Amino acid sequence: MQLNPSEISDLIKKRIENFDLSAEAHTEGTVVSVTDGIVRVHGLSEAMQGEMLEFPGNTFGMALNLERDSVGAVVLGSYQHISEGDTVKCTGKILEVPVGEALLGRVVDALGNPIDGKGAIETNETSPIEKIAPGVIARQSVDQPVQLGLKSIDAMIPVGRGQRELIIGDRQTGKTAIAVDAIINQKGTGIKCIYVAIGQKRSSIANVVRKLEEHGALAHTIIVVASASESAALQFIAPYTGCTMGEFFRDRGEDALIIYDDLTKQAWAYRQVSLLLRRPPGREAYPGDVFYLHSRLLERASRINAAEVEKLTGGKVKGKTGSLTALPIIETQGGDVSAFVPTNVISITDGQIFLESNLFNSGIRPAVNAGLSVSRVGGAAQTKIIKKLGGGTRLDLAQYRELAAFAQFASDLDESTRKQIERGQRVTELMKQNQYSPMSVAQMAVSLFAANEGFLDAVEVSKVLDFEAALQSYMKSEHSELMANINATGDFSNEISSGIRTAIETFTKTHSW
Amino acid sequence: MSELATLARPYAAAVFKRAKETGATGKWSLSLAFLSAVLRDENISVVVDNPKISKQALSTLILDICQGQVDDEGVNFLKLLVSNNRLSLVPSIATLFEAYKADDEGYVDAEVTTAYPFSEEAKSRLAETLEKKLGKKVHLNVTEDQSLIGGVLIRAGDQVIDGSIRGQLQHMQKALK
Repeated sequence: MQLNPSEISDLIKKRIENFDLSAEAHTEGTVVSVTDGIVRVHGLSEAMQGEMLEFPGNTFGMALNLERDSVGAVVLGSYQHISEGDTVKCTGKILEVPVGEALLGRVVDALGNPIDGKGAIETNETSPIEKIAPGVIARQSVDQPVQLGLKSIDAMIPVGRGQRELIIGDRQTGKTAIAVDAIINQKGTGIKCIYVAIGQKRSSIANVVRKLEEHGALAHTIIVVASASESAALQFIAPYTGCTMGEFFRDRGEDALIIYDDLTKQAWAYRQVSLLLRRPPGREAYPGDVFYLHSRLLERASRINAAEVEKLTGGKVKGKTGSLTALPIIETQGGDVSAFVPTNVISITDGQIFLESNLFNSGIRPAVNAGLSVSRVGGAAQTKIIKKLGGGTRLDLAQYRELAAFAQFASDLDESTRKQIERGQRVTELMKQNQYSPMSVAQMAVSLFAANEGFLDAVEVSKVLDFEAALQSYMKSEHSELMANINATGDFSNEISSGIRTAIETFTKTHSW
Repeated sequence: MSELATLARPYAAAVFKRAKETGATGKWSLSLAFLSAVLRDENISVVVDNPKISKQALSTLILDICQGQVDDEGVNFLKLLVSNNRLSLVPSIATLFEAYKADDEGYVDAEVTTAYPFSEEAKSRLAETLEKKLGKKVHLNVTEDQSLIGGVLIRAGDQVIDGSIRGQLQHMQKALK
């Protein structure tokens, strides 16, 4: 027998002393039927939509359908022990989950219970999972970047703090890889990360946790897990749980990044719950409010102004804006972005990173399709130097795409067309980047500068990545001051420009790759 | 159960309106209670659910049983139920009728469970307090249950006020976990 630390008799005595002995008033109902995790309850005339209901055996449920004579509820967790005739109590509360700094570095389930075996979570604060998004007055426009550490994304599809940027693509195109790299790159930036895994295999979740731990990124990350083996109700609420945990940081004037991996599975779980509740099916058998399911979630990712932060913290935090950036992930079937859920989420978000399996298979990783990917607000937030240098990259790739079909007749083409094709091939090559190796702003700036200024034109296409690697290690060892300067300011001045130029010129003369 | 209530509601509403018009809510209440007792009887419910028995025979049978217990309007009501195949709804109709009646007359039925016998004075004081809290007249129905250990447990409709020692112990058990 093992005693818990909370079982010391003095502690127990104190808790008994402080125990509130007033009579408890609540409304009660009776379970009429239990079917696939859906419980119909007779009575409960005062239940609220979304209210937590208490079942016997310390099990909770959520009231979703309020009808004239009965309430339809989903059980959160296992429902095998609930039977007809059991009493159900109203709690008078909307479902709440623990929030706070103590959650960082932890793996929790959709209700905020730790599942990583590291003991209880030391936080007293809880917050309801369903909240209304900040209003118009409380918001501030997005003007600070979130660096994902991936050249192709930071240069062409920049993400700002408070933005919602969709990552969309078929299975096996590296969607999660981008998300994990983004989390790893936030190490030391002060941006807290939340990774919500919905309907995934436990093995892949364990893999992500291990990778984050290996790269020292778990300390600033909360992982919310509703794996494929958990009930549909938990998979459906998990994103809201994660969002609430992220909002805690946003409302304290800090920056947070949340990844929903993935919302397609959440929509499936919600469809299951809705159909079992006998709500009428609509397109693709989704219920009528599947758009609202995602829009109310993603609206909560926002940037709020200093006045609102001051109000929310009761004047404790002044002059700081807060943000919650969301990177929702959607999995498409056979590249079909016109299916119901993908179109919905595309229209809600502020842009999308479109990943393609044929790019992935031809070795272009991250497999970003530069033509279809956009960021509607990120441009205003992009670091100046990347904005200046990245503009050329986008143009080079756009021109290359138009001409790529003629690449095999290169010898018959005129000089300028051939040059464009060659430039395009090199830039495409340069956009490749290994997993778990995010780049700093300065590193990206050097690579992009080399491409823009034609230093790559003399390099063989197959050697581009070797050239880049050698250049980066040269810059790191010989010009660390310049790099630190770029990282610190992010500005693009003549001085920096000429600094990089001379450095690359010396490198090309003196080094081989 | 909830589906039955949906089906029974129009009948209960109609019966209640008619009873109000004729001022015979008390009488209807008694006859509905009698009818539901009859229909809860196993032998009767077998007959009611048997599709081979014609409506004619069924209504004759039921009317024979109820002779003297229901008035002319009651007989008409029964005939209507038989012809609509809704005879099995009578218990639900009776419950809903009682709810309409209680709502109309402005009282609630409160089930009070106590651990020890209740004095008349305590009863009237409890009724008074409950009337203030619920804003309605209260009809107390007191039963005893030793397992409460002490205190009272009050149920009025869906509302439960748990002031028993057992309830507090359960509450404490959860809090100390």
